Amino acid sequence: MSLVARYLEENGIPSVVMGCAKDIVEHCGVPRFVFSDFPLGNAAGRPNDPQSQADTLELALRVLETAPGPRTTVQSRQRWRDDAQWKLDFSNLDRLSPEEIAKRRADFDVQKEIARKKRQNSHAAE
Amino acid sequence: MTKTDEALGFAAEFDTPVGYMARIRAYYLALGYDNPYRWAHYASVPFTALAKPLNRSRIALVTTAAPYQPGKGDQGPGATYNASAKFYAVYSGDSAGDPDLRISHVGYDRLHTTAEDINSYLPLVQLRAAATRGRIGSVAQHFHGAPTNRSQVTTIEQDCPDILARIREDQADAAIIVAN
Repeated sequence: MSLVARYLEENGIPSVVMGCAKDIVEHCGVPRFVFSDFPLGNAAGRPNDPQSQADTLELALRVLETAPGPRTTVQSRQRWRDDAQWKLDFSNLDRLSPEEIAKRRADFDVQKEIARKKRQNSHAAE
Repeated sequence: MTKTDEALGFAAEFDTPVGYMARIRAYYLALGYDNPYRWAHYASVPFTALAKPLNRSRIALVTTAAPYQPGKGDQGPGATYNASAKFYAVYSGDSAGDPDLRISHVGYDRLHTTAEDINSYLPLVQLRAAATRGRIGSVAQHFHGAPTNRSQVTTIEQDCPDILARIREDQADAAIIVAN
């Protein structure tokens, strides 16, 4: 998505990215970025919380209006929860047993094969 | 947490934005994939200022979410990673509608969220509300879906121009891009 933001901007369309992966978006480099320090999948606000969602969008609009230049990141003040333990879980090898890692590899191989076949079919259709 | 940390009100050491690149790189190496992903990375970043105030601007929405596809397996809420639900071409939908878009095809945090509320990853309802109260001029007629699964070359050479053309067709002035 960062690539889309850059492309639009290069072609005269101002943009703001809403996201939860601060390092990945900033590594690419985008014009404007609203970072929510939430688990991946909640870039538009907390689930079932319209106020959180409204506040997150309003922050994006303010950043769209007021960013002084490229690489403007503004972090939402919202906290997922007081306890930040959730941050230690995502794809964290320290928290996975060898058996779990082996199972995940097997599962991922299956998904990779599905994606490969779909990709091939989509190319064939072009 | 030490006594000093507590006295000064410091947060826990690990309470920083998650370093996803390092986490994901180590994870897939441990799973046996020894060809680490190269994330897009640029030294310079383009910038275009808004041409007119937001309350006179037409705003387009771009998402990585996928249209729900019956028969393509569990797409949530709470679904495991589902590559069958991926899509490979830019699509557009009616911004005035009530689209059923899911994120089972991407790597969101399945332990701590379930993707049960579309409004947590697609701010379409809030964007329409912003138009209703005059915060923005209007919502562009279409929102656009961006594929996330092909090569970066495909994204840049095919998907990006496609999205730009669609945004221009709707005469949108700016875009909100939501990553998942």
